[in-house]
Amino acid sequence: MATDTQAEKPASAEGPGGARRLGFLSGRAGWAAAAVALLVFIALPTQLYGSQQRTLAAAFMFVALAQGWNLIGGFAGYPSFGNVVFFGLGGYTTAILMAKAGASFYVALPAAALVGLGFAALMGVPVLRLRGHYFAIATLGVAEGMREVVLNLDGLTGGGSGLTVPAVGIEATTSYPGNAGFYYMFLALAVLATAVVLWVSRSRFGYGLRAINQDEDAAAAMGIDTTRAKIGAFALAGVITSLAGAMYAFQQVSIYPARLFDVQFTLLMVVMAVIGGSGTVVGPVLGALGLTFLSEYLRDNLTDYHTLVFGVIIVAAVILLPQGLVRFVQEGWRTRRFSLLDNVRAYRL
Amino acid sequence: MSAPALETRGLSRRFGGLEALSDVSLSVEPGTVLGIIGPNGAGKSTLINLVTGHLKPSSGSVCVDGREVTGQRPWVIARAGVARTFQIVKPFRELTVRDNVAIGAMFGPDGAGSVKDAQRRADEVLERVGLAGRGEVPPGELDVADARRLELAKALALGPRLLLLDEVMAGLRGSEIEPALELIRSLRDEGMTIVAVEHIVKVILSVSDEVLVLHEGRELTRGKPAEVVKDERVIEAYLGQRYAKRMAGGNGDA
Repeated sequence: MATDTQAEKPASAEGPGGARRLGFLSGRAGWAAAAVALLVFIALPTQLYGSQQRTLAAAFMFVALAQGWNLIGGFAGYPSFGNVVFFGLGGYTTAILMAKAGASFYVALPAAALVGLGFAALMGVPVLRLRGHYFAIATLGVAEGMREVVLNLDGLTGGGSGLTVPAVGIEATTSYPGNAGFYYMFLALAVLATAVVLWVSRSRFGYGLRAINQDEDAAAAMGIDTTRAKIGAFALAGVITSLAGAMYAFQQVSIYPARLFDVQFTLLMVVMAVIGGSGTVVGPVLGALGLTFLSEYLRDNLTDYHTLVFGVIIVAAVILLPQGLVRFVQEGWRTRRFSLLDNVRAYRL
Repeated sequence: MSAPALETRGLSRRFGGLEALSDVSLSVEPGTVLGIIGPNGAGKSTLINLVTGHLKPSSGSVCVDGREVTGQRPWVIARAGVARTFQIVKPFRELTVRDNVAIGAMFGPDGAGSVKDAQRRADEVLERVGLAGRGEVPPGELDVADARRLELAKALALGPRLLLLDEVMAGLRGSEIEPALELIRSLRDEGMTIVAVEHIVKVILSVSDEVLVLHEGRELTRGKPAEVVKDERVIEAYLGQRYAKRMAGGNGDA
């Protein structure tokens, strides 16, 4: 008991969320761990091969995607299965501006963010009236529909054969950043996305989203403008996700609808956020890094079966850790018990 | 003369073919307690939901402090100073008891302070309803009575001028009722207007300045508590003959 209160002291001094919610990776130890990790990631590229830099860049991109999903799916509790629509729109905005309008990437990037913001707000008005499964299906439908729209607007988007971002030669509007450049770009985006989620988790806005997540009628009765809060969360997710799409399009150079609106992006960001711990700040970071490395490891070592094994591991993780890694450790830290079986029982899966 | 704290005119709500509430007009003076009784399905909760904006009326109007709020969204009405409890308690399960209450302080009419200020205010409210020291607990660990207290604390944290209580005493033991009544009286004495829906007739009679009896969605009668319980129609529809005899027998226990 004495150790218990001692362990939780710094947490209650640090965050407004109350010691019971925090306790793990919060307070000074959490900040120190985050700072060390960040310094390592900043110093690391000189020690890596190009392919390793690309893997890490992808991991950082997924951190941003998972954090974007975390805002709407984790905090607000609206399980979007269509966040890839922002990714695709961000990518296409960038590619079109750079290829057709000769814009610099640094002009295209904020433009992509604006498109993500605008589309999320526009799409949010009708779809955020739906709850639960209906919301999930509607968002999935919008994303699939947008892919078809992009496919058919071939004057602008190049249709099924896609677009090529001018990356080399005299047509290049912005010099191609290369592996290390994209590594830092995606790292910065991951840090930005996580900082946004950290801010949300401690703000009135974040408390409002949690209340909506747990009981929307009660939240409205407490004075929370639920429509505005949900659209706000969706729009933030839209900005983060479309920024990731913009960087991805530039990195890939040649883009086409099946690549940018790939439903697999949606699935991965959901799984990463959920396994790490949706509604937490650290969870999506751990989920995205962990699953990206796991996927790479399996691909290298199990050429034929890596997708199957990856899938089985995801299913097992969801059954054993339904509340996500971060909450599992938080609860275990508090109760001094780490039992996956108890866990499965407690969440009645 | 100031405007009534709550006024409804011809308030009606249909669900398909069912008239859940029809043509209810009422007016509650500031700083008084209106008790609402009636059998199950009489439209009591529907009335509350219509006032708070959780349901939209089929016809009729709702005014709070003289300002029309008919058909407004719940948060607009909450920010106009109207707080409520739910018949089936609705805690935010993954927030601590303190944060549950702090939400009201954050988003209420004079909210917008910092999260820390809201949590400080939440502690004061928790103390008032008898939940001091339980702030760190998740709501799932509260017993029935404490869950009701939390529901009330959440509403009070909004700092309402009009408080709508939907069976906030249900599930309380005999010894727990009197402190709850005491709290309601002290809130009224501070100037809060209270509308209380309650099943326990004794409770409603002892605290209400006026009582409205609903039956099948309509106003059966309204008046001073002592008059209402003697009304033949109320006995017929709701209280029952046995209750009337016991009242006539001189002991007030229901």
